[in-house]
Amino acid sequence: MDVQLSWNLVHDVRQLLEFHFMVNALRAGTIVAVVAGAIGYVMVLRRQSFAGHTLALLGFPGAAGAVWLGLDASVGFFGFCIAAALILGLAPAGRAGEQSAVIGIVQSFGLACGLLFVSLYHGFLSGLNNLLFGTIVGVTDRQVLVLLVAGVVALGALAALGRPLLFASIDEAAARSRGVPTRLVGVAFLVLLGVAAAGASQVTGSLLVFALLVAPAATAVRLTARPVVGLVLSVVIALVVTWLGEGAAYFSTYPIGFWVTTFAFGLFLLASGYRAVVK
Amino acid sequence: MALRTLLAVAAAMVAAGCAVSPSGGDVRPLTAVATTSAWGSLLGQLGGDRVRTFSLISNPNTDPHDYEPTPADARALAVARLVVENGVGYDGWAQRVLAASPDSRRIVLDVGDLAHVGDGGNPHLWYSPDDVRRLVEAVAVALEKLDPADASYFAERRNTLVAHGLASYQALIKDIRERYAGVSIGASESVVAPLAQAMDLDVVTPSSFLRAISEGIEPSSADKTTVDEQIDSRRIAVYVYNRQNSTPDITAQVTRAREAGIPVVAMTETLTPAGASFQDWQVAQLQSLANALHRATGR
Repeated sequence: MDVQLSWNLVHDVRQLLEFHFMVNALRAGTIVAVVAGAIGYVMVLRRQSFAGHTLALLGFPGAAGAVWLGLDASVGFFGFCIAAALILGLAPAGRAGEQSAVIGIVQSFGLACGLLFVSLYHGFLSGLNNLLFGTIVGVTDRQVLVLLVAGVVALGALAALGRPLLFASIDEAAARSRGVPTRLVGVAFLVLLGVAAAGASQVTGSLLVFALLVAPAATAVRLTARPVVGLVLSVVIALVVTWLGEGAAYFSTYPIGFWVTTFAFGLFLLASGYRAVVK
Repeated sequence: MALRTLLAVAAAMVAAGCAVSPSGGDVRPLTAVATTSAWGSLLGQLGGDRVRTFSLISNPNTDPHDYEPTPADARALAVARLVVENGVGYDGWAQRVLAASPDSRRIVLDVGDLAHVGDGGNPHLWYSPDDVRRLVEAVAVALEKLDPADASYFAERRNTLVAHGLASYQALIKDIRERYAGVSIGASESVVAPLAQAMDLDVVTPSSFLRAISEGIEPSSADKTTVDEQIDSRRIAVYVYNRQNSTPDITAQVTRAREAGIPVVAMTETLTPAGASFQDWQVAQLQSLANALHRATGR
């Protein structure tokens, strides 16, 4: 069952939407891109990329454990990512710099659990690559609905945190002296980051979440210093690379994780080049 | 390509947002999909020219246990009116992909369900002659249901397959059973177990070893020692291994068996060569097994 890209736009669109699985993949990708683009932008501002990376990786043991227990993989993605966010957020910070050590320990333990779940799962965990690198062929209606609800809640919470979060992200000391509960805001944001990472994991796979969480935000930061414009730009870039990646995965034989990551990287290089020339 | 793809996807998202849902009319001829080529060959023979048949796993050089579906597979499954999946955890991805493209008119035959083999059982059901017959009957019934107008055509295809196509396959199994029942053989994994059972051959390799290799887990060293001893002491008449799932341990066992003068027989999980029919493939393997047993026992 091969499809070919033509110059006829209507024909290409019809090919893309011919099958329900692809409509679902595009719906899921769109939701995930908007959430990851927005929350990823704040993550980059707050310099919490390492925490975001860890939360994304912890989706893998979550999903592997869920499959082992016979549950839906998305239960595992969300459950583990949110639990890990709470652990990272509530763990005593200690001296400056110790935070990243805590994150590193949680990350390696999580991956070890994932390995254990894979070996406990008798039968064949075909789909290990899909968990790690993403797939477009198995998104169900229910999964889209779960992603939509999680995405709306996360974006709503982000909007509610809005000003204090941005303030605390740009200048934490000043925010604290003005009475912003920075620690609480920090924990709440980590949970949102967990939700975004869990959602993105289901499209790009756990290992390539950064294509949606970091790359669009980092690209946006290179193009504008204004936070609101940057956030919108980050969302737009995430949408573009997701749609491009899903379309390319559909019309080619290469996996989605490769395409999304490649397009995100390409745009980042272009933005870096643009800034080098302009400034 | 990037620009065209982006334009297409952007337009697609607008269309999807307007809730334009794809309308799949009746596609003729009927499309039938099997997850693995062993079942696909039988499906193709039963459907003849009235059915378009696809097999998703068909490369004899890869390990089917590690298979992951492609968008082309998802498209084939989405339009299929009849799907044959192996079940028993062998192709769990098929259910996920089918769930992403629901179709109430589609008939899905799960061979594990037909054979009443639960999770954790031996998934290599196309090596069980009884389950092969079960699937043939179930497919014949399903095709008639999907296309009643061609019922007599499908009935004739089924009768031809059972009476002629599978005749020498079944005769060889009977022949080996009559001649070699009770002979001890060694195996690299569980792929051979159902066939050995049908022929009353005694697989003496520890079942935990067969299972570990089949599932891609490291076998225990106690099991490895047992297998080596069985080879060295020539407790086994013949050593059968799965060429598509050959770990360094298995390669070493094959060499060890050859050095001990034990005939070695290779089997595969998918049709070999890729274009062969189910029965030609099975008969060729059974023939080499019969030759090996003859050399080993002199019977």
